Amino acid sequence: MFKSRFISILLVFFFSTSPSFAASDSTKQVFKFYCAQCHGDTGTGDGVNVTEDFATEPRNFTSGKEMSKLSDADIKNVIMDGGPSASKSALMPPWGKTLTDAQADELVAYLRELCNCKGAE
Amino acid sequence: MKLYALLLSVTALFFSYSVFAAAAPADGEKLFNSNGCQSCHYTAGPAKEKTIADQLAKKGPELWYAGSKFQAPWLTAWLQDPQPIRPLAYNSLVDKNPGNHSKLAAADASQIAEFLMSLTSADVEAGVIKPKKNPKGRLIFNKKMPCGGCHQYPGRKGKIMGGMSGPSLLHAKQRLNPDWIYAYMLNPKTFKPIKMMPVFAGILSEKDMKSVSAYVANFD
Ligand code: HEC
Ligand code: HEC
Ligand code: HEC
Repeated sequence: MFKSRFISILLVFFFSTSPSFAASDSTKQVFKFYCAQCHGDTGTGDGVNVTEDFATEPRNFTSGKEMSKLSDADIKNVIMDGGPSASKSALMPPWGKTLTDAQADELVAYLRELCNCKGAE
Repeated sequence: MKLYALLLSVTALFFSYSVFAAAAPADGEKLFNSNGCQSCHYTAGPAKEKTIADQLAKKGPELWYAGSKFQAPWLTAWLQDPQPIRPLAYNSLVDKNPGNHSKLAAADASQIAEFLMSLTSADVEAGVIKPKKNPKGRLIFNKKMPCGGCHQYPGRKGKIMGGMSGPSLLHAKQRLNPDWIYAYMLNPKTFKPIKMMPVFAGILSEKDMKSVSAYVANFD
């Protein structure tokens, strides 16, 4: 009785966590490596580069209000081509020659998780 | 007969010179290993990092192209009195650089520097970049591109400006080979296939990369 309950808890735990872990872990690592330096470890816009000289605050990805103004395509474009491509600050770098297309798509999905929001059409 | 003697002494001179020149880097390499430098720095190219995890596992920067990257007088002096280059601890976005790099005595420093300066890359073309304060380079560094967002650089009246995640570019004039800066931007995969800095090759033109390299190479 005790044993089977333990196993079923284990099974539930395993199935609920492992597949998404495997998938989102590397995206998380990509985010932490390239984006966290400005956008912060948890995406709130307070990365280590944001000193008093930093002219424009990096987007806070946990703000549903701000992030829902952007469509998924807007987000992907600004990631690949940088701030100026969307009339935003040049402090947002162009990552198009650094990230693969698939990595950019995964980042868009990751940012949607952080804001817990949907994009504008 | 006289000619023969002359030839012989020239040959002897040549050999003693080349043996001497070859011996010094080898001694420096021994010292490099006996001082434990190898435990944090690899010295045989090409670049080994293929994934983010590979880069994060490293305890110090790769030195396999040190002879193309650094200026010898700076290197010899730094090994004796290593001041922080990166504002943050290596591979950290949180901790400050502890500033505790191992120090060497003058004799060891110059031998190890000689060894490190012998490690060059064929992908650095000499004599292309002349350090120069130029308006185009400045525009790219400060306005068009986010360079200053991640790198410290000298502002007006000696003020230190800029971001924290990249190596400081203060004193690049003394520290870095101007031609390496350009080669680093032009061939990002050769020197650092995995890094937190965006790839600019293909985004900036070669002309722009030259201007910004000359601008950075002039940072005091
Ligand atoms: C050098 C600092 C820096 C880095 C590194 C950086 N960003 Fe940004 N990012 C900014 C700044 C600054 C803004 C705000 C631009 C503005 O509002 O004008 C921004 C804005 C954004 C926006 C919102 C754009 C909009 O139209 O509102 C997105 C999306 C974004 N960044 C994604 C990313 C992703 C993904 C990464 C990592 C691959 C990343 N950024 C890395 C500085 C940075
Ligand atoms: C415990 C690991 C460790 C050991 C051992 C070590 N280093 Fe370093 N080394 C580092 C780190 C970390 C940095 C970056 C320091 C900084 O940015 O201020 C560095 C930087 C350097 C640099 C400048 C490289 C660059 O790209 O900026 C040189 C040259 C160097 N070390 C040589 C040596 C030599 C020679 C020895 C042996 C006497 C040695 N190191 C031992 C960790 C180490
Ligand atoms: C998002 C942050 C970021 C931006 C933007 C950025 N860099 Fe970097 N840069 C870095 C990091 C991090 C490194 C160190 C990479 C490594 O060795 O792992 C670096 C390394 C360098 C180096 C070599 C320094 C050394 O001592 O090894 C130079 C030169 C340089 N960057 C110039 C530039 C220029 C010029 C620009 C703008 C066109 C720029 N960077 C934009 C983060 C950045």
